Parts: sequence; structure tokens; C-alpha cells
Amino acid sequence: MPAYWLEATVVILGLILLLMEAFGKSTSRELLRRVAIGGLAFTLVPLYFAVAPSPDNAELSRFYIYDNWAVFFKLLAIVATILVLLMAYDYRRVLNQFTEEPGTDHGTGEFYALPVFACAGMMWMASARDLVSIFVSLELVTITFYILVGYMRRQVGSLEAGVKYLILGALSTGFLVYGMAWIYGVTHTTNLAEISIAIADPDSGIAANPSPLFFGLSLMLLSLAFKIGAVPMHLWIPDVYQGAPTPITAFLSVGSKAAGFIVALRILEPFFASEITRTQTTLIVLIMAGLTLLLGNLAAIAQTNFKRLLAYSSIAHAGFILLAIAAWHPGDAGSLSTHQVVSLYLATYLVITLGAFFVLVVVRNSESSDEISAFDGLGQRNPSLAACATILLSALAGLPLTAGFIGKFFAFQLAISSASANKALWLGVGIGFIGVAASFYYYLKVVRAIYWREPANEEEVPVPQISRIVILSLTALTILFGFWPNPILWVIGG
Amino acid sequence: MPVFFYAFAAISIVGAIALVCFRNPVSSAISMVGSFVGLAALFIGLNAYFVGIIQILVYAGAIMVLFLFIIMLLDLKAPSTFKRSSPMVIVGGLIIPFTFVIQLSAVLPEVRGGNPQALPLEEAAKGFYDKDRDPDKQSEIYNSLRQKSLPDVNLVGLTLFGHKGDNASIRTPGYNFPLQITGVLLLVATVGVVALSLKKKKSKSGGSES
Repeated sequence: MPAYWLEATVVILGLILLLMEAFGKSTSRELLRRVAIGGLAFTLVPLYFAVAPSPDNAELSRFYIYDNWAVFFKLLAIVATILVLLMAYDYRRVLNQFTEEPGTDHGTGEFYALPVFACAGMMWMASARDLVSIFVSLELVTITFYILVGYMRRQVGSLEAGVKYLILGALSTGFLVYGMAWIYGVTHTTNLAEISIAIADPDSGIAANPSPLFFGLSLMLLSLAFKIGAVPMHLWIPDVYQGAPTPITAFLSVGSKAAGFIVALRILEPFFASEITRTQTTLIVLIMAGLTLLLGNLAAIAQTNFKRLLAYSSIAHAGFILLAIAAWHPGDAGSLSTHQVVSLYLATYLVITLGAFFVLVVVRNSESSDEISAFDGLGQRNPSLAACATILLSALAGLPLTAGFIGKFFAFQLAISSASANKALWLGVGIGFIGVAASFYYYLKVVRAIYWREPANEEEVPVPQISRIVILSLTALTILFGFWPNPILWVIGG
Repeated sequence: MPVFFYAFAAISIVGAIALVCFRNPVSSAISMVGSFVGLAALFIGLNAYFVGIIQILVYAGAIMVLFLFIIMLLDLKAPSTFKRSSPMVIVGGLIIPFTFVIQLSAVLPEVRGGNPQALPLEEAAKGFYDKDRDPDKQSEIYNSLRQKSLPDVNLVGLTLFGHKGDNASIRTPGYNFPLQITGVLLLVATVGVVALSLKKKKSKSGGSES
């Protein structure tokens, strides 16, 4: 089966969901949720059997690439969407308070259909190899998120988050298009493979005056920084993460970020490949990485709200991944390539972060609060949930024998091995270590609240069935990948 | 009698009047789209295909969709009471149309006596001649200018959907793929606007509450 059918399947699933939403019974969204989750899970089967479309199909092959990374990031997108929809299931009580006809499922039909479209957009992003297809698929994802972030429109926080995301998103779209225009003006093509050839071409005059090219690249990187949550476009993250419905926050922090990173890798690849542009590109990405690491980790220390803490943590993790990108390495027999390290990091990050958000949804359902104080005494009120939360938080910090350590370890290893060629990378590595040290403090602050604070009341925190299964399996995966990351390495061919 | 001219002129004028008269901002915005479409048709009637298409793409498409988005997201309602306009507004409303009428009366007599000239298209074609290519394999722009037709509107379609060059075996690929993704994007945007702004007055399926 040609690969482009995958996205078509997901879009058709989304259309079916919309029709069911419009013509089915509006009293319960039970069936809608099941079809959405089941349909996406089914898509994993053709993903395994899909083959790259024939290169003769010029209409498609110009815009669409189906390689290892496309497969991997499509897999990430589908898994993230399934988990987010499962999370939305347990979040429905909170969601229903703030939508049309509070307390019922009536106003929430689209909430289960739109993530499926976002998933299709992310899958297209994973396969995009032309600035035009990058732009349209990225916009599909962003516009879907505009709606989802502001979905609880009866709650001021969600509305505020929606407006902030809309304004900054539109601004970054402007930067993206403007940057693309400059790149097109310099290289006379929008195709990334041809851009690579144009940069390397000695007759093109780029070597003599690369400034316009870098101007375009910087503008595009600004816009991608918005997607992946890196400095200087990080401003929206804390407020939007805090205000958006929690499943959507998780989706933004995992799905949208992963899709942003594959696009960033694809755009940066021609620039790292050419001798002319490599030094400056490394410098640009390294500065972004250093600032992101510093800001994300240091600002997280002061947070008292768990969702905001996860927002800053999401910025910090983007910094670590950017560090791996700055240490660009095409990969050889002995070490992993940048693509592999980024994929590995994002895969472990998906498992841990979604686990943490599931814990947050459970606590939010019970305590009606996102503050860290809501976790006070969780160790007495629900010991097994507290144990899972502790493991997930220490994995986020990067404690050895958890999946978080593996991701950070490979990122640092890549940066240190490339630092012999480019001394500036040592600075990034140093900032990275400061970041890791700071992150232990603020993640373990939550663990302290769980075990060393007096609980507000003695009632047990109830865990719904789905959350119980998902949290347990994600925690198990976190530990498993901690000392045996081979399953991920098999998929990314390491 | 130029039927189409009058028809489309009527559409754009009716749309413009409706824009001002409607109280509901959404209706106003929709009638503005109608007015733009009429205007675009007028441009196309004047052989200005490119301006016409851009009029639809940029104004009716992008700007109005953004406009509608903002109106619907901000949840604006029609003002419930009609406020009497202040004298300043009335004076301003009189001065601006009056200025336009003066300008029109100055411009129109000049135009009426004008003698329309054919565009020197063959001359323009020379600018697109590519020395490095065979004379029979020149670009679409060159070929259509040689045949004394303006290439712009064709080019939009040819670029978007792909076309066969003179050498029939090679097909220049179009932008079908991004176009389809854009279709999904617009669907999502439409669904989103409805989801965010729709208010059900009563439960429509059960009806047991009433």
C-alpha cells in the first residue's frame, strides 16, 4: 500500500467522526471516542506495511517523502493522538463543565474529532520535503490547535490561552512565510533537496554573499521555535499550557513538538550538509539551545503550578534536543546520528510526559486544582499512584535507569563527541549540565510534596480504569527503556 | 448591451449597500464577500484576469475568512438598540461621499473620450525569450504572449494543477498535494468556527426539558 493512503485513512476517519457527531445521538460521545481511538489504532497496521510511493508520481514525490524518519514520526503522531484521546476520556468531567450545556457531553463532539485531523497534519509534516507542503501541513496542525486550546470557552483561562496562541501562532506563520520567500528568492526553488544542491552550487553566488540565505533561515527558525517551544518564541508556552484543556496541553507538548522537530531537522539538513553554511547554522542553533536550556530550567524553579512546571519543563527538553541538533552528526557505524538521537529523545519524552499528564488529570479530577499543593500527601492517599508519579518525575529529571536518562545521555554524548570539531559546543554542554542540575531540584520539589507534606484530607484519590492502565504501562515503559532502549533503536535503525 | 457588466455591477453595489445596512456583523461580512466577488467579476470582464483572481484569493478568501474568524471568535452580537448618530458622524458621512463625487466628475469626462489601445503583447513576449532553449520549447508565458493572449490567468491554473509542456511525455507537476491539504485545513477551520461560536438554544434531540 502506498504511504499516502495513511494520511487519507486518518482524514477519512476524521470525516466519519464529524458525520457521527452531526447526525448521531448527541447525548453520549462514548461511541465517538471508541471509533476515534479504534480507528487510529487500526492505522498502525497499514503503517507497518506501507511502502514509499513510486518516484514516477511527480505530483506527489515532489512534496512527499517516505523514509525511516517519516515512518517514525508518523508512529509518534498516531501513538500520541491515541493516548491524548484516552486522556480526554478521563478528562471529560472537567471538559463538560466549561462547554455548551454544562454537565453533559453535548458540546464536546468536535473535541474528539479534531485531534484526528491534527494527527493527519502531523503525519503530513513528517513526510514534507518541500517548503510548500511543510507550510500547509504545519498550518493544518496549528489551526486545529487554535480551536482545541480555546475549546473550554466558558472558562476564562482557556479563552485567554486560545487568544494568546492564536496571536503568536499567526505571527510565527508570518515569519515562516517571509523566511520561505527569502529562501526561494535565493535558491529559486522550494524543494529541500534542490535547496541543498543550490547551496552547494559554486555558481549560485551564495558562497560570496550568504546573508540573504541566513536571513531566510533565521526567520524560518523563529517560526519553528514557536512550534517546538524554544527561545525566543517560548513566551506563549506557560500561559497556553496552563489554560488549555489538559489533554490538549499534553498533545501540544508531545505531538506538536515532535512534528516541529522533524520539520526543523528536514529544513536544517541542507544547511548543515554544506561547508559554506555549516558554521553559522551551528552557531544559530547553539545559541537557541543554550538560551532555551537556561530559561526553561531556571524559570521552572519558581513555579508553584504543576501545569506551568510541565510547561517550563517542555521548554527545557526542547533545549536538550536543540543541543543534539547543534551537534550535527550524519551518523556512522560507531555512533548515533542527530536524527536518531532526536528521535530517541522524543520517543522517551512522549512516554514520560504523557504519563505525567495522566497523573495530573487524575489529581485534577480529584482535587479540582493543578497546583503542586494538590499533590500534598499523595503518598498516603494513593501509594501506587504516588510511586508512579515519582518514577515519571525522576525520569523527566533524567535519573539513571529511567528512560529520561537515556535520552539526555545520548544528547550529551553527541554534543561532546562533536565538541572536538567545534569548541563552542562545550559551552552548550556546560549550560546543559547546569540545566540538568536545576531540573533535579524542581521535579523533586513535587516528589517532596507527595511524600513529605501533610495531606489536606485523608480520602483516597480515585483512579479511573483507563488512567490506571495507561499510567501503569507508561511507567513500566519508562523503566524498561531506562536500561533496555533497544526497541526504540530497532525502529530508528540504530 | 453588456449584460454581465450590469449584473456584476449590481451585485457589488447591492453587496456594498447590504454591508452598511445589516446590523449583524456576520451578515455584513458575508455581504462584503459578495461585493468583492462582483468586483472581481468586473475586473475579469475588463480582461484584468490576474487582478480579478487576486481580488478573490486575497480579499474574499484570506482577509474575509480572517475577519469572520475574529467576528465569530469574539462572539460579537448585533447591537440591540439603535443609537442616534451624533452630528459629527453625519457631517463626516456627508463630506466623504461629496469628495468622491467631485473626484468622479473630474475624472469621468476624460475617460469617456479615451481611445483604448491594444496592448503590445508581442513586444512583451520578447522579454520572456530564453536564449538557452530551443525556439519551440519556450516557456508558457512566452508562448501565450506570442499568441496575443495574456498568460496570467492560465498560469495560475497551470501552476496549480500541473500541465504538459510541448514535450508531451514530461508533465510539469502541479500543486495538487498541498491543495488537498489546504482543503482539509479549511474544513477544520470551518468546523472550529462553528464549534467555538455555536450556541444551542435547547436540546434538539431529546426535547424533554421543554
